[in-house]
Amino acid sequence: MDNIYYPRDAVLTDIKEETPTIKTFCFKLDEPLFFKAGQFMQLTIPGLGEAPFTPSSHPGKLTEMEITILRTGRVTDALHYEVKVGDHLGLRGPFGKGYPLDKFKGKDVLIVGGGVGLAPLRSLIYAIFDRIDDFKKISICYGAKTPEDQCFTDEFKEWEKKPHTSLHLTLDRPHPDWEGTVGLVPCLLEKDIIGVDIKNSYVVSCGPQIMLKFVTYKLLEVGFKPEQIYLSMNRRMSCGLGKCARCNIGPYYLCKDGPDMCYADIMDYPNVFE
Amino acid sequence: MNIFFLPESKLRNLIETLMGRGRLFWTRQKEKSITIEEVDEEYIGDYKIPDLRSYDTFKNFILPLRSKVAEYPDEKWEDIEETPEKTVLFGLKACDVIGIGLLDKVFLDDPDYIDPFYKKRRESLILISSDCSSVKESCFCDLLGNTPYVSSGFDINISPVSEGYLLEAGTDIGNEILKELSLSKADKKLIKERDNSREKVAKNLKKQNTKYEKPFAKDLSDIVKEGYESSEGWALGSTCVSCGACTNICPVCYCFTLFDRVDTEGKKSKRFMVWDSCQYKGFSQMSGGMNPRFPMMERFKNRYYHKFFRFHDRYSEYKCTGCGRCIDNCLGGIDMREVLANIKILETISG
Repeated sequence: MDNIYYPRDAVLTDIKEETPTIKTFCFKLDEPLFFKAGQFMQLTIPGLGEAPFTPSSHPGKLTEMEITILRTGRVTDALHYEVKVGDHLGLRGPFGKGYPLDKFKGKDVLIVGGGVGLAPLRSLIYAIFDRIDDFKKISICYGAKTPEDQCFTDEFKEWEKKPHTSLHLTLDRPHPDWEGTVGLVPCLLEKDIIGVDIKNSYVVSCGPQIMLKFVTYKLLEVGFKPEQIYLSMNRRMSCGLGKCARCNIGPYYLCKDGPDMCYADIMDYPNVFE
Repeated sequence: MNIFFLPESKLRNLIETLMGRGRLFWTRQKEKSITIEEVDEEYIGDYKIPDLRSYDTFKNFILPLRSKVAEYPDEKWEDIEETPEKTVLFGLKACDVIGIGLLDKVFLDDPDYIDPFYKKRRESLILISSDCSSVKESCFCDLLGNTPYVSSGFDINISPVSEGYLLEAGTDIGNEILKELSLSKADKKLIKERDNSREKVAKNLKKQNTKYEKPFAKDLSDIVKEGYESSEGWALGSTCVSCGACTNICPVCYCFTLFDRVDTEGKKSKRFMVWDSCQYKGFSQMSGGMNPRFPMMERFKNRYYHKFFRFHDRYSEYKCTGCGRCIDNCLGGIDMREVLANIKILETISG
């Protein structure tokens, strides 16, 4: 029987501490699992329940998966404090559509992340680096609260070394020796900082809902069109199959039609950023 | 389609034949309420098919309040292999049959994901429907383009006529059962009588709902979508107490959540599919505190929005059968007809 509610076995092989509140969980899978950057998984702790996460690892790695998780609720607390390397957890998925990379071909890509929102974007960044000549400029903007709250800092240098790629960082509360931008993520989106050709680019953004809201407004202000903006929307999810009906925006089910939505598609529906 | 005549005295034969096909649940008039319960063999002789739909719905037979969907006995997830027992549902009305058809669209007809548990349960059901022979105040199937009788979706349909019933098979199983009963074909006069009584009930229903006809003739999906920000109509929802009675009693509300728990020995983990309700505050509550439908009114609107716009957008049908159970059971006295009839689409100022 093809049981759609049944998770596959995933063995936890490593736990990396990214920040005091964010850890990356590495899994080994029995069978290859194909996912597109942006698609998400339902991660189960047996006996406790499931929560949806988008992998942060390279989509090309089929029997390994990394998921970077902020400690914020019941399941994530248990992940941070209770599970150990060697534990058997469960994975269902992948769900959703993933980022429309083919659509971005020949364009500049602006990647805007905040906090743990860089996790799904890291998977996208790897996917983009795999075929970097398909795109023009790649501009990665990332904001975190403090230097300690930044994820994947050890990879930043490598990212910057890639051809036609730039990285722009901001911190809300930096240390005194910080020389970069200070402020929330939208302050990176001034025309002269991002360095992309606004008319010929796409934006992908992931972060807390409140950040997505102000990033979107800022992007519109500097001249992006709603059609160019892709947002990783946050909603509660359970089934992942477009049935249990709690993750909707307008007619869309984020678990099936998203979770990355083109702003033009959702902007006219109620409660987009509530 | 062949239509057969079953004399009043042989209703017992029909019920007993059906009992041979599986566990039989019927609708039964009990004091003021029509209940759904397992057949009472001692009562078969006195049994009358109720005129109206039951108080409760048959949803629980296909989409149980709680059902196990996965198990984790020992460091490995295991599939559940359970075959549901054959069940005969007796006395469904048009709204019940249509409701099951709508649930099928969600759980069976989706090419990407067929719910294996739903499928098994659905296949184990035999549906015996019957025409409505009167009208309840809250009934409004007519406003949604339905009738108080159905012509498909059942295994056997029963229509009361003088001195008996007309039986019509809708599936092979239905035909098989009717063959077992070796009944004579219904003559034209009886079929005419059936058509007349059907028409009479439909007419009474239409009369009762006349004042809603005009607003319901409009595109309801447009009304809830374009009228979302309207203050009229929705204001009738201000007495809502978010109890979830409307969604629980609805034959087509299927929202659920997956819920895991460990057994008492603390070893075996089980996953359940449990009914949920979009009217509950926690329905879309996320960790971190965000909740896009925190205000009661947002949840109240969501139910209509989902039924008449979102579902319609995907399945080209309204997720409502017009059975009126939500009206009967609302603690706030909210009438879905009144809400929909009063939503005003705000005129947009162009240019």
